[in-house]
Amino acid sequence: MKLSTYLKDKLYAFIIFIAYIIVLILFLIALKLSSSIIIFITVFTTIIFFIILFYDYFRKRKFYLELLEKLDNLDQKYLLIEMLLEPNFLEGKILYQVLDEVNKNEHDLISELKQKEQDFKEYIELWIHEVKLPLASLTLMNRKDTNTLRELKRIEDDVEQILYYVRCENANNDYLIKEWNLENIVKNVALRNKDDLLALSIDLKVNNCNLKVLTDSKWLEFIINQIVSNSIKYKKDKDSFIEITGKDLENSVTITIYDNGKGISKSDLPRVFKKTFTGENGRGTKATGMGLYLCKELCEKLGHKIEITSCLGEYTKVVITIYKKGFYNLD
Amino acid sequence: MEKILIVEDDETLRDELSNLLSNSGYEVLILTDFKNSKEEIIKQNPDLILLDINIPYLNGEALLKSLRDDNKNIPVIMLTSSNKTIDEVLSISYGADDYITKPYNPTILLLRINNIFKRMKKSFDYLEYNDLKIYPNKGIIVKDNEEIYITKNEMLIFTYLLNNRGSIVNRDDLMSYLWNSDEYINDNALTVNISRLRAKLANIGYDNVIITRKGEGYLLK
Repeated sequence: MKLSTYLKDKLYAFIIFIAYIIVLILFLIALKLSSSIIIFITVFTTIIFFIILFYDYFRKRKFYLELLEKLDNLDQKYLLIEMLLEPNFLEGKILYQVLDEVNKNEHDLISELKQKEQDFKEYIELWIHEVKLPLASLTLMNRKDTNTLRELKRIEDDVEQILYYVRCENANNDYLIKEWNLENIVKNVALRNKDDLLALSIDLKVNNCNLKVLTDSKWLEFIINQIVSNSIKYKKDKDSFIEITGKDLENSVTITIYDNGKGISKSDLPRVFKKTFTGENGRGTKATGMGLYLCKELCEKLGHKIEITSCLGEYTKVVITIYKKGFYNLD
Repeated sequence: MEKILIVEDDETLRDELSNLLSNSGYEVLILTDFKNSKEEIIKQNPDLILLDINIPYLNGEALLKSLRDDNKNIPVIMLTSSNKTIDEVLSISYGADDYITKPYNPTILLLRINNIFKRMKKSFDYLEYNDLKIYPNKGIIVKDNEEIYITKNEMLIFTYLLNNRGSIVNRDDLMSYLWNSDEYINDNALTVNISRLRAKLANIGYDNVIITRKGEGYLLK
């Protein structure tokens, strides 16, 4: 609150005061008082007027300056009221109480929404749990029928995508970072996609994956599975292969998933991690645009890095970087 | 015959599972009284338990823990639809021998069961086939003190056929076995490996011991 703006706001007081002074002077002149007394009374009244004005200004200035500064510095603006003391002047008090009331109301609303979200998440988890029972039964019933198994696997993948979507949109993080062997995670992904890979004659090459990684095995399995599923979906017509390579670096372990599939065009590439983005490859087909978005989100939560490079018609390469103990990426 | 106890409350799944296991030559036991699950398990005395986590009354993890607290060391494979890492970590720390999430590939399930039984039995470091001694870990076959080297894939194929000697092994199961051993080979490679294995066996006097049954699979005489 600048002094000039404050004074501008108090313009009405000046006008009234000046009018009052004029009337006062005329009145004193009419009383035939000596000019020194008139000057004294005028100056004295003016000083009193300014004292009142400045006292008021400084009292408010302290509160409003603090208010604006905190509003500026706060990350979560809604916490503002928690950071202020109740001021000792009327307008401030009213503002403070109003903010407090609004804040409480907002809090109630947010916690209600949070509760709803939590309920929804719990329901989804339960539902997925339930839907897996018939899926497991069907898998056992059709164990000799590869085509049915491949379709069942598609359902399973789609169901799992919802699960991870709900998990990653939710504030609470139910993952557990521990040391796992990358080879086992890659093996699970390979076994899940075995029927597809064999039926579509895509060669899978796995190199140097006997490495320890600090991650959540289920999450990483989901991420690698998404990428491999994409490679399968957008394969070339012949001589397709997918290559998964582990590399042990000083501060991190990287997993590279390389395929010689259709690739991604230059214009699509920067947007593949965006939610519901479907590029030229996916448009009009079975793409939901969620797969890579989820990979990115989950990687960020786990503190891993995911990067994608590609050349249209030649290859797609995804690199996941998992940091080692003490080198955790805190950005 | 090994006895496997299924602890699963979904009936369809339980029936299918018991079908799969009895077709694979195991004796199947089923737990129906979940109220006294621990006493029931001890009474039935199985060689292996397939345990679901989400069962009525005491959940799978708690049941496993109380079994282990009683010093019952029956091997346990957790079969669950839970996708949370915490459940896996918890189960393993309570003493589960393996952890498989639903829906599972049936062949893989059988392989994992087999692995556990193999681990339990005093494992020999070699297998026998007529007058041949096979050392899977060294990758050699010994005949009359003569050592023949075979590749890892050939060894996996040979030991799998040998373990199922006399019955037909279908290509898909053989493939699952190889993939489960981190050998992600394709159809052509499997055919090539089998013919190489045949040639190596023929060299040491075992001509035509691996028979191809069209549309069914392979058979080791």
